[in-house]
Amino acid sequence: MDFWREILISLRRNKLRTILTGFSISWGIFILIVLLAAGNGLINGVSYNFESRLQNVYTLYSLETSLPYKGHKASRYIYFNDKDIRTLENGFPHIDKVSPMAIYNETAIKDDKSKMVSLEGVRPIYSQIEDVRMVRGRFINEHDEACSEKVIVIDEDLAKSFYDNADNAMGQFLMISGIGFKIVGVWKDESNICYVPFSTLKKIHNVTQYYRLTFTTYGLDTKVDNEQFKEYLKRKMAQLHEFSPNDPQGIWISSTMLNAIETNRIMHTLELFIWIIGIAMLISGIVGVSNIMRITVKERTNEIGIRKALGAKSRSILASIVTESMVITTLFGYIGMMAGILLTEIANNILNSKMDDNAMTIFANFTVDVRIVVMATLLLVVCGVLAGFFPARKAVRVKPIEAMNYR
Amino acid sequence: MISLHDINKTYFGAQPLHVLKGINLEIADGEMVSIMGASGSGKSTLLNILGLLDNYDSGDYYLDGKLMKDLTENTAAEYRNKMIGFIFQSFNLIPYKTAIENVALPLYYQGVSRKKRNQLALEYLERFGLKEWADHYPNELSGGQKQRVSMARALVTQPKVILADEPTGALDSKTSAEVIQILREVNQTGITMVIVTHERGIAMRTDKIIHLKDGIIEEVETNNPDLIDLNTQIK
Repeated sequence: MDFWREILISLRRNKLRTILTGFSISWGIFILIVLLAAGNGLINGVSYNFESRLQNVYTLYSLETSLPYKGHKASRYIYFNDKDIRTLENGFPHIDKVSPMAIYNETAIKDDKSKMVSLEGVRPIYSQIEDVRMVRGRFINEHDEACSEKVIVIDEDLAKSFYDNADNAMGQFLMISGIGFKIVGVWKDESNICYVPFSTLKKIHNVTQYYRLTFTTYGLDTKVDNEQFKEYLKRKMAQLHEFSPNDPQGIWISSTMLNAIETNRIMHTLELFIWIIGIAMLISGIVGVSNIMRITVKERTNEIGIRKALGAKSRSILASIVTESMVITTLFGYIGMMAGILLTEIANNILNSKMDDNAMTIFANFTVDVRIVVMATLLLVVCGVLAGFFPARKAVRVKPIEAMNYR
Repeated sequence: MISLHDINKTYFGAQPLHVLKGINLEIADGEMVSIMGASGSGKSTLLNILGLLDNYDSGDYYLDGKLMKDLTENTAAEYRNKMIGFIFQSFNLIPYKTAIENVALPLYYQGVSRKKRNQLALEYLERFGLKEWADHYPNELSGGQKQRVSMARALVTQPKVILADEPTGALDSKTSAEVIQILREVNQTGITMVIVTHERGIAMRTDKIIHLKDGIIEEVETNNPDLIDLNTQIK
């Protein structure tokens, strides 16, 4: 109790020293948090813009065969069927989610207006594969697909010409080939592509063969991985559809692999860069705090000498100096941490309220990993205390008479 | 009270300096002694050794019958705390502590409770006429007041010995006279006192003057301070 009172008196009566030391700590932590948050914001912003490039998406296109095989003549069209979908979906290595695709050109009619649209039957995963950005409402969901709901996602252009704007379009029924589709979403595009659940389109047109299959993958991180996967996929398809595995045609496999690898590499570089800057910041913070601590102890050499002459034991002086630096660094470290987190929260609010759907953003979602922040704060506290401890130990070892005469 | 036998002290610097060359000295209980000598004569070193602020190379030093030799830092700190009170030329008050806090500090290191500490400290400040100044910081006090605070601090633990290093060195003659008068009064309560000074006027008011020259005791002069007119100039 008495011990803590002494510490408090010392901190309170030496306001300037306390505030300067504290400020350097608060500032260090504050800057570190703001920097890490800005860095993460940058990464989030970039990944938002390049979302479609982040995934490794494969697309299979059907083609004519160029070689005769097992009694089949050349120039035979290979179509994908439901069996292919099941094969790819159920336990095929590296394949995550599959979306087959059926496309029909249809005429959409509203009152006296009509418009040609490309009606595409897709599964929910397609919005991620093709980076479909919603202006209003939502994309096709699992329920729509499972129940073959007559719902439709129209593009902005169609919404404008039929309903003036996207808001009015929501919930309306759009007539296409005599069937009413409920509009559940408007997506940001002007190509007159409308999405309906794959299962719905399949039912309407009784489709059994498809020209395109798209799927996302996982665990294919290198070029070699991807080439091996392609090879395996082609052989499997050749086997299923009885065309020569050596046929350069039959099916064509395209992937966003190179894009994905490249984008991921950029992200990792960015992350590394932020880490390096962060660590450099932390080091300069540590050096600053250490210097202040060292000077503080030097300044107190006289006081240490006086206290020793009055009968203070080295251990007790050391304990009080170390405790003082611990109190300052912990308290102000905490203040800096809170201030930093507060600022990132404020920045986030401003960013979210100003975020325009149309704008390309550089920053999105400033976040800091609280664990990293706490670790950094603790590191600074420990370094501050150590930086106080060593010169203090040296100072208490000096003979009291020398300490008293020190200037 | 104090007994020195053949004390030697050498400072090992770029050039070894043999500061004390065999000091033999007896200071009786309740005696008031001054040490005089030119600068470099070793008087400050001697006082530091007496005050356990510095160690010595050879010889024996008995304080209150106990041999003070090869003490650990902690033991030395304990002896200093309980047996010795210091008065310094530059007062050595802690600037961010009030007068009463400065006086109470040695008691803090004795583990005395805060209430008792403050009560005792105030008592001693009152004794030196500083009760009204208890809550003032050192920079708000005059030189004489500061020295009285440091005397209160030296006495608050009721030590056996008071060691004063040029206690009037930073004071004018009128204040010096007051300070030496107080020291005499303190001495008359039975506390042994050793004063290092280069002022003859101060030394004349002690029982014994030890003249130090080049690390040896040149002469021990016996005084009768009661014969000296208190109003004679000391500077």
